[in-house]
Amino acid sequence: MAQSVSVSVEAPIENQILSIDYDGTEVYATPLTQSEYLTRNAARINFSKTIDSTEENKEEEQTIQPTSNPFENILNKLKEAYTEVTVLHDVLSIAKEKHYLVLDPVPIHEPIEVKPMAVVYARKKALGMAGNILISGAERLKRLDNGPDFQIELLRLRQNWRLKKVSDNIIGDLSFRTAGSKFMHPGNFEVSKADESEMKGPNPSTLSVTIPSDLQGVAYIKVVTQKDQEDLCSANVSTIDQKCKLQVGEISSWQKKFEFAQNVLFCKELFNQLAREAVQLQATIPHVVIGNQIRATLLPGIQLIISLCHSNSYQEFQEENKKKVDDLHDHVLEHSLHQLLREIHYKNVHFPIPHSGHAVGIAKKRLLAGPHSYDRHELWEITKSQNQTLLEQIIAQAQHVFMRKRTQYVLDTLARDVKDPQITSHWNALNSPTLSWVKINITTHGYDTITRTSLVIHVKERSLKAICRDGRVMHMSYEPQELRDLILQQICQHQISGLQSLSRCMAWQLLSNSNHLGIGDVEPLGNANSILISSPLGDRVIAVQVRCDPQIVVKVYVSHSPKEFFTSGPLVQGKHWENLGSEFKEVNFEKMEGRNFLNKMEFLMAALTKIKE
Amino acid sequence: MGVTILVPYPLEKKTGPEVIEDLAKRLLAMQATPAGQFLVDGDIFDNPTMNKTKIHVMHNSEYPASVFSILDNGQKQIPLITDLIFDLLMLKVSPTYQSKKSLKIESKGPRYELGDFLIKLGSVTMSQNQNFKGILIEVDYRPCLVPALCWDLMREFMQGFLGQHAPTTVPAYFTTNIPMNPVQHFQRYNDTYQPIDTVQQYLEHFNNFRKQTQAPMMMTPRN
Repeated sequence: MAQSVSVSVEAPIENQILSIDYDGTEVYATPLTQSEYLTRNAARINFSKTIDSTEENKEEEQTIQPTSNPFENILNKLKEAYTEVTVLHDVLSIAKEKHYLVLDPVPIHEPIEVKPMAVVYARKKALGMAGNILISGAERLKRLDNGPDFQIELLRLRQNWRLKKVSDNIIGDLSFRTAGSKFMHPGNFEVSKADESEMKGPNPSTLSVTIPSDLQGVAYIKVVTQKDQEDLCSANVSTIDQKCKLQVGEISSWQKKFEFAQNVLFCKELFNQLAREAVQLQATIPHVVIGNQIRATLLPGIQLIISLCHSNSYQEFQEENKKKVDDLHDHVLEHSLHQLLREIHYKNVHFPIPHSGHAVGIAKKRLLAGPHSYDRHELWEITKSQNQTLLEQIIAQAQHVFMRKRTQYVLDTLARDVKDPQITSHWNALNSPTLSWVKINITTHGYDTITRTSLVIHVKERSLKAICRDGRVMHMSYEPQELRDLILQQICQHQISGLQSLSRCMAWQLLSNSNHLGIGDVEPLGNANSILISSPLGDRVIAVQVRCDPQIVVKVYVSHSPKEFFTSGPLVQGKHWENLGSEFKEVNFEKMEGRNFLNKMEFLMAALTKIKE
Repeated sequence: MGVTILVPYPLEKKTGPEVIEDLAKRLLAMQATPAGQFLVDGDIFDNPTMNKTKIHVMHNSEYPASVFSILDNGQKQIPLITDLIFDLLMLKVSPTYQSKKSLKIESKGPRYELGDFLIKLGSVTMSQNQNFKGILIEVDYRPCLVPALCWDLMREFMQGFLGQHAPTTVPAYFTTNIPMNPVQHFQRYNDTYQPIDTVQQYLEHFNNFRKQTQAPMMMTPRN
């Protein structure tokens, strides 16, 4: 039996093509795994045949074995080939004669009967189908050209937000970690391709964004200072502009969605930090943290309430906004709250150089303290400023805001109530969040050059410091009454010193002057001021008393000399005794002519001056 | 921060604590307020191979975050102000620079405040066995930074409570020329006062006390 030559056949490296789509993409069959390949091969084997052939092989091996000639095998095969070729030659030569053998041609099938109309219909149908495919493909391409593209939109998203690919999903990060936040919330969101159904509305987007449920909605932190139950001032803190009104379509866009979610995260972090500090701080009146609210006492009776507001839909938020009275809103407070959190974030990321191992987390000032040889006082100042927490700073600022308002109120009401003299206050436009100062000028209209009393008041967190013209420094507490008393006292002094200067101009003589008159009714706070002046000839004496409690009261007395009705009696005999001053008689000062105190006094002095003949 | 003048005070047949007590009484009579304690110490590190080079390491409780060190090679002194870790560094270089425990000297005592003045009454002791050496009085006028501008005021104040032992002339430390300064004949007297100046004054006096071999006579108990 003829032995076949074994030819090795290898599987092609390329995968088999299963099908080709209309747009030319080739769909490949996945290559077979090792076990699949084995089973496929095993299925092809005809085991019964194999057994036969092995037997034959064995027989052959037995027959071949005795022949020692190595070319025996080849010789046999050549012989067989020769025999077959001769047989073929014989057959062909016989068939050529066509006597004994005839070769039949291979039969060809009869052509199918063609109906021309059917062909036309079939072609029409096929062309129609092909046309439909082309049209739908063209429409898809058109839509891609005009409408939003997933890739391009993803690129735009990538420019503004941090994204990363986790297996098949795109995960983004909303947290402030890159800005130095240490808040534990992951703040992740997921981006996926939008379905056709989602791509409707005014601003269709191919991106669909999934944000964790606790970050959805709108949040803000509300800071209110309250006296009893009455709101004094409030500030809302969030990273979004609360005044702007958004269209429905804008809210649904991913950019806005992220901004809102990040805002929620921001508010949560801020509140978390504040609540932690409120619990840790050891205040004289402990801070209270209940649920989403922190309560701290600023000054007796005045509370600072910080609360986290989180509403789930934007509409609710806008409605609330409409209700709010804008007058109470304090933008400065809001700004400083933002600034404080930013500072903390900055400190978390930016360590002062040098970054030696032991120095991480130590302030730059403290690091320099050694080489710059700071003394004890400076070091103490450093530790004091360093250890202030966010809440402490907020409380200090709120206290200051409140002190400033109180001072303003006291000064304004005094300026309104006291017509004579005028009180003007100049507030410094630039100030620090915890210190501001005001300059107060007390002047009399028409006599500005003669006299002016000015003083400066430093408004601190819980106290006031007044520096008077004469260099006296007075420290006052947060009670507004103290400031009121000081200003009233200053007004009294202003009147008296003004009269003094005026009398000098009018050539009247100053006899005595006292800022603390010991006589008269006892006053709860301060004393009356008084002055005694005499005319150039000494024949008239005017006594003035200015009281400041509870409001400014001016009393003017006049005495004549010689006495108007002098009668010498047994007790006072000489005529010369008439030169003694007569009793003081009160002038009805209210009814005197003149615009203000100094003006009236000028008229009075002018009227009482007698020109020497 | 301010101008500090350091004055040694003679004992005059009294013991150290007695003198300190006397001065404290005088200060309290002037209505000074006690303000804690102070401590200035000086340590010498020297190099056995290089004969004359020494490092003086000093601490001043007024500047608690700093270590003052002065490298002295016989001809000139190089000051260096560092963090507190400098002490640890000096331990690391112990094979080259070794601390001389016996020459460790310190001045400590009460501290008083009187208006703008700060007065420290220090009793100087050397080595660990508390070898009493003398008394150093430090007067600090805090609002001023230039010695020339406040010397007269300080002299008058010192006369007030030190009496005849108060210095009448400017201490030599201020009148010697500063070697490094490019302006010739520029003295510390007209320069801004630095914390290192206080330390250098202390160093000068400490060195004097170290040289003083015999104990002051007041150390001998009176019979």
